[in-house]
Amino acid sequence: MSGPLVLGIETSCDETAAAVLAPGPRVLASVVSSQVDLHARFGGVVPELAGRAHLELLAPVVAEALERAGAVGHPPVGAVAVTSGPGLMGSLLVGLSHAKALAMAWGVPFIGVNHLEGHLFASLLDHPDLEWPLVVLLVSGGHTMVVAVEGLGRYRLLGQTIDDAAGEAFDKVARFLGLGYPGGPAIDRVARDGDPTAFAFPRALADHGFDFSFSGLKTAVVRAVERAPEANTADVAASFQEAVVDVLVTKAVRALEASGARGICLAGGVAANSQLRARVEQACAERGVAALVPSLAMCTDNAAMIAAAGQWRLEHGAPSPLDLGADPNLELAFAR
Amino acid sequence: MIVLGIESATELVGAAVSDGEGGGAEVTVAGRRRHAECLAPAIEQALALSGRQLREVEVLAVDLGPGLFTGLRVGVATAKGLAQGLGIEVVGVTSLEVLAAAALDAGWPGEVAAVVDGRRGEVFVARYRRGPGPGGLAELSPPARARPEDLAELAAPDGQATLACGDGALRYREALAGVAPVVVAGPTLAAPSPSVLADLALARRSAGCPAVGLEAVVPVYLRDADARINWTQREATGGG
Repeated sequence: MSGPLVLGIETSCDETAAAVLAPGPRVLASVVSSQVDLHARFGGVVPELAGRAHLELLAPVVAEALERAGAVGHPPVGAVAVTSGPGLMGSLLVGLSHAKALAMAWGVPFIGVNHLEGHLFASLLDHPDLEWPLVVLLVSGGHTMVVAVEGLGRYRLLGQTIDDAAGEAFDKVARFLGLGYPGGPAIDRVARDGDPTAFAFPRALADHGFDFSFSGLKTAVVRAVERAPEANTADVAASFQEAVVDVLVTKAVRALEASGARGICLAGGVAANSQLRARVEQACAERGVAALVPSLAMCTDNAAMIAAAGQWRLEHGAPSPLDLGADPNLELAFAR
Repeated sequence: MIVLGIESATELVGAAVSDGEGGGAEVTVAGRRRHAECLAPAIEQALALSGRQLREVEVLAVDLGPGLFTGLRVGVATAKGLAQGLGIEVVGVTSLEVLAAAALDAGWPGEVAAVVDGRRGEVFVARYRRGPGPGGLAELSPPARARPEDLAELAAPDGQATLACGDGALRYREALAGVAPVVVAGPTLAAPSPSVLADLALARRSAGCPAVGLEAVVPVYLRDADARINWTQREATGGG
């Protein structure tokens, strides 16, 4: 594959990220500046603080990515790709505006990328030889969905959460248990010393379909702890995590069997959960299909995946117009 | 010297290209609240209409606010991106200075109170008069956040003849009505103009005021982010 270098920019939530991608796709540089410390004391991402921080951090993060990639030509890259949604409006606008300006200044194409499509491309960067069709389990703080991917750009939504995202449930339960923010890594850590069978938390909608529901689970955790205040926090965390992972894996396997896909691919921040990774690998091994588990760097928000999606869009379509706006609720374009 | 002015601090979004000698073009869009959609095309059109290329731009002028947080993010991020891509520096000007410069250019002989609508029942205000400094502006009181009911006192503290301009002055004109020496300017002077911004930045640059590096280009918010306010209040009251 030949083509220009692509600069990717990602500012949809609380990571300020830039990456330079060579054809292949091959990651030449990927820089992520996390704002976790900034938001930790509020127990969640504060949108106005995130927007202000992106504005301060993005230019140096872009400069570092270009420098690390050795992209010093005029122009240094052949295209600029940026997340245009979904995400926090005030955060999206910073990346979008900066990316348009860079593209104008360099006289190169500008491409708006759907953040969710970016997550689907993250696996491609780790596993360049992956074979379609795949079932992608996309699980993050904002989304929980099962997507049948027939090939790049060809997506079919099988199911998604009807209330909280899985990552949101992790954050809320961690906050309730006093484990801090972000909740995913905190619960993962504590759960290692706990008994996942100590509490029988509900597995909502587990028996049928592909949709998810996690708000009842969070309530069940709160009730259980109120009933048994002396309960071991590690046991509660492990049992909660087990319930979430059970449902996620059950649905992914159901989707695998219904769609005849060649494997299950994990994507999104919750894909960093050790239990989820182990269970998906185990389920795939039992069925003789591929388990595509992304590296930790490709689970969380990053700009390499945005550059990869942008690179593909540029090769298979047209650049975006400069009047493109940010869309906090942008949906993946699903095949009908 | 070719300057590009980027304006998106209030409801008006736009761009101006100026050569400092009367040549240039200005493109503005008002009342649509679509800053992210309109700014880049406005820059492209202002450049095209003035017959200039982006690489000819030597000075980037941007309105740092105070004003709409969303608009400021779009304007400042765009200015930073252009400055980074072109390898040039940025001259930041406040929205209140741009408003005052336009009023003084229009011939108002006295003092000017520039007032930007800060939303949530607040205004941003500063006072100026003609002065010897670059751009001909002398600041009498620095940009501050205030309640509309305090505007009359803030606009003309010593009862001097004052022109109040800006969308904040228009919105809260009743608070200023009946204050004898204060005249409220009409809609023509309600929004900061990209070309006034560009020429003000050019005057400052020509007078030797330094442009700044990207890290120093920070919006003038004049209001803490919500969470921070709540946090501080919680700490102050000892609650949790």
